[in-house]
Amino acid sequence: MSFTTPQGVEPFIVSKFFYNKEAAALDYYMKHDGYAAAKKSLAMTPDDVIAEVKKSNLRGRGGAGFPTGMKWSFIPKQSSVPKYVVCNADESEPGTFKDRAIMTYSPHMLIEGMIIAGHAIGSHIGFIYIRGEYVREAEMLEKAIDDAYAKGVLGNKVLGTDFKFDLYVHRGAGAYICGEETGLLNSLEGKRGEPRVKPPFPAIKGAFGGPTVVNNVETLAAIPWIMTNGGEAYAKMGKFPNSGGTRLFCVSGHVNKPGLYEFPVGSVTIRELIYNYCGGILNNRKLRAVIPGGSSAPVLAPHELDIPLDVEPMMKAGTMLGSCGVIVIDESFPLVKAIRVITHFYAHESCGQCTPCREGTRWMEDVIYRIENGKGTLKDVELLSNIAANINGKTLCALGDAAAGPVASFVAKFRSDFEDLIRGGHNA
Amino acid sequence: MSKLLSEDFYKEIKKIKPRYPTNQALLLPALHLAQKEYGWVSKEVMDEIASAIDIPPSVVREVITFYTMYNLKPVGKYHLQVCTNISCCLRGAEDLMHHCEKKLGIHAGETTRDGKFTINHVECLGACGTAPVIQINDDYHENLSPEKIDKIIAELT
Amino acid sequence: MPKCTIDGKEYEFKPGETIIQLADRVGAIKIPRYCYHPALSVVAQCRMCAVEVEKMPKLQTACSTPCAEGMVVKTASPKVKEMQSSVMEFLLINHPLDCPICDKSGECDLQDYSYEYGAADSRYDEQRRTYIDLDMGPVIKKNMNRCIHCTRCIRFCDEVGGYREMIAMKRGNSTEITTSDGKPLETDYAGNLADVCPTGSLTLKEFRFKKRAWMLKKTPSVCEGCSKGCNISIHHEGGTVYRLLPRENQEINKYWLCDEGRFNFHHVNSETRIVEPAVKDGSSLKMTDWKSAVSKAKELAKGNVLVLVGTDLTNEEITDIKKFADTNLKGAALYHFGTPGVTKTSDDKAADKLLKRTSKTANLNGAEKLGLKPYTGEKSGATIVFTGGRAVLPQGISGTVIGVGVFEKEDAAKFEVVLPGLTYAEKNGTVVNYEGREQKFQKSIDPKGKSKAVSDVVKLWV
Repeated sequence: MSFTTPQGVEPFIVSKFFYNKEAAALDYYMKHDGYAAAKKSLAMTPDDVIAEVKKSNLRGRGGAGFPTGMKWSFIPKQSSVPKYVVCNADESEPGTFKDRAIMTYSPHMLIEGMIIAGHAIGSHIGFIYIRGEYVREAEMLEKAIDDAYAKGVLGNKVLGTDFKFDLYVHRGAGAYICGEETGLLNSLEGKRGEPRVKPPFPAIKGAFGGPTVVNNVETLAAIPWIMTNGGEAYAKMGKFPNSGGTRLFCVSGHVNKPGLYEFPVGSVTIRELIYNYCGGILNNRKLRAVIPGGSSAPVLAPHELDIPLDVEPMMKAGTMLGSCGVIVIDESFPLVKAIRVITHFYAHESCGQCTPCREGTRWMEDVIYRIENGKGTLKDVELLSNIAANINGKTLCALGDAAAGPVASFVAKFRSDFEDLIRGGHNA
Repeated sequence: MSKLLSEDFYKEIKKIKPRYPTNQALLLPALHLAQKEYGWVSKEVMDEIASAIDIPPSVVREVITFYTMYNLKPVGKYHLQVCTNISCCLRGAEDLMHHCEKKLGIHAGETTRDGKFTINHVECLGACGTAPVIQINDDYHENLSPEKIDKIIAELT
Repeated sequence: MPKCTIDGKEYEFKPGETIIQLADRVGAIKIPRYCYHPALSVVAQCRMCAVEVEKMPKLQTACSTPCAEGMVVKTASPKVKEMQSSVMEFLLINHPLDCPICDKSGECDLQDYSYEYGAADSRYDEQRRTYIDLDMGPVIKKNMNRCIHCTRCIRFCDEVGGYREMIAMKRGNSTEITTSDGKPLETDYAGNLADVCPTGSLTLKEFRFKKRAWMLKKTPSVCEGCSKGCNISIHHEGGTVYRLLPRENQEINKYWLCDEGRFNFHHVNSETRIVEPAVKDGSSLKMTDWKSAVSKAKELAKGNVLVLVGTDLTNEEITDIKKFADTNLKGAALYHFGTPGVTKTSDDKAADKLLKRTSKTANLNGAEKLGLKPYTGEKSGATIVFTGGRAVLPQGISGTVIGVGVFEKEDAAKFEVVLPGLTYAEKNGTVVNYEGREQKFQKSIDPKGKSKAVSDVVKLWV
């Protein structure tokens, strides 16, 4: 990281300890109120814990934005098979790099969040499913967990109570689709990471057939603050209904200060983020496009950047907040190439189960590639939109939508870029 | 038949077995452990893993080919995994890739004749704020440029 | 019983039933599908069975959506038609235009649904994806280029066969469905893969290029491969049997047929089957006419006559033989034969976890019920052997042998007389399976050559 301290606007909840390597240690964490929230939560009833999280309006920080308290409340009270807390640390959405920082500088924040989640849903086993490429981060988590066991923070008597909680790290092996919760569960079970048919939902039949809650790293890392300061305080920070707290925004691409920024949700627009915090466009060039929520989010043109960064406003504007991966593209990079690189990613990561995604993503990539190389026709532009429309909403999981949305948006908003290439001019 | 995988492998499998209610859940960890020993996973090793964790060998085949991180053929001592996804591309990843290919005299997907270096395209590594990024074996090298990667390669040679 | 509405009509459904199960049960509702199969797990991958459900913004796959009280479903709305057409387009962009040379033509789901739900033209201008085919063994011919990745074959091997022989390798558009390390299939049920495959990706090597599916006549029958009595359909044309397919029977074989039963028809068409009456002349059998052959047989069948009855014969035939022996061969002892080592129904056990049984003929139970005792090597001067061609001839039959029924030239080489008879494909009859279930089957083809039914042979004899 190019920074030495958290960036953005206070309060720094999940980025509190960025970029202090010493903060990862258990002793440091304990000295800074570490595990106080877990102690407090373990003295509450599970229902009260869930109620507090519901009050906070915390929405999933992975990309789907599902209300966390509600997700936890779907877990049945009784179960004849073990229940599981699974942390989705498969961070693979292009443009997203926040969970890596949380796990590097605040592994105990995550562990504490998982302990609280376990208590809330009645689970005694947690898995952190971490993408295989994050080797050092996995080692860091293993160390943090070992230290936690040694100090009685994990194990048979968590923090001196009768609550038993075991936590294990499970490494993935290179598959974006394992970030989809049911793909993740299949991968955890040692299978191909292919998403499952829903119903049944993971809350009823998840890991190893048991009720399971799957939450993103950042979501779980926010839980200790909520339990310490109360759900209401978290909710109040949000500027829009049903969405509370802060989020880590990942800015990359053609900005002067790419990196992680934490803001209360909805308090900053895309334009403000890029120009007021990230130093504007690299080399003073002209901004051409912004992908605001990880590569799955429909693209925005330069005049569309006054949208507050929160779930509802972004959805209303025809795009999505997603994983908060803000990718900035200036005039130096051809936009058709950009969407080709992105579409190639989805074609490569498609699990291959369902027809529209398996066949359609590759087809879109091939057509865009042909246009990029000057071998396209005007009909191909229509064709792209049509293929995207035939994938959108018709697939087994959201990867299809994630591939189709961006293509449809690039064609709709930057049609002339495609047509220029077709007509022979290789303009950006 | 003598075992291809070390005592440490079997010890580790034994250690993590109680975590999971099924045998098959041991597969991804087992494949990672096996790959650490040889740098890649051969068919013979796949069969040994199958019998070590008691699952059909066919299941090992179908799972291992789903994931990109398991090498099905040998790789060089240093595996240069160059991210060429969007954020890295915006910060010069394609040029960086061509530079590496030229420097080492191989194309992406190939290994140098002395067995030292392999280059491959990979998807987003989750370090977009410090693009462009190359992962060499287990470590991320961020904020790269052609000069910086030259220096790193020189140190590794 | 709860109710839901499909295409404007109300239907009662069983709790837990999915929309596709309800549609299939009532019969009148057409929902196209590839990956769904009633005997296999639901994967909702092909997306072809999508239907419109009121109040749900996206189309839902009928195979994975349980019916709900008051649910309103449309199976042919404009949105549904659009999705069906787009799924067809996606499936066809990489599918080779092999229909003119593909065995599946005429009974191919891809063809049928393309015609009903797809577009007439292709918009695809890119390179088609191709694979290299591996040899899957003696039963199945693989053509991976034709595969539409429905995964029925994988699920069949795993869920019905009990072993994950077929697997998916790689992922995304490059996914290849193959066997582990390209090894040949080991299962005894490989033929079913050609049945479940909705395209010509997995076809029977045995049937390859033999006959166009639409030229075949189909006659229901019962497999004579063992005492399970699986229901089959004999596909034939011009007096030749081309293949056997399983017929659905939820109580016996569900949808399946073992390979031994599936390929048990070569003796029907065999070029070395004796189809004319024959009498030994010197050292070999010479073809002759019925009158001469029967007369020679009558001449030889004197004294201590032994009558051996194959347990592959029908109840009707065995009854006729008993009556004939009673009236014309006074003092003749009758015994049944069929499977070495399995001489009683109490010896007849399951040979595997699925369908096969240790008694390798269809009517051991019937023969026993009709009062016949098993042959245990009794000797005599003259033996008359009745068989339908499936029963295994006992070793060391003594004395002069008269064969009545279906014989290969090689097997009857030492016989004095052969009176050619009918295989199961050439007659009507009743057989009793191991459970005591009586099943009638129909004649598919006319008797080959000059072969005659047992009842006709008996008429000539008396």
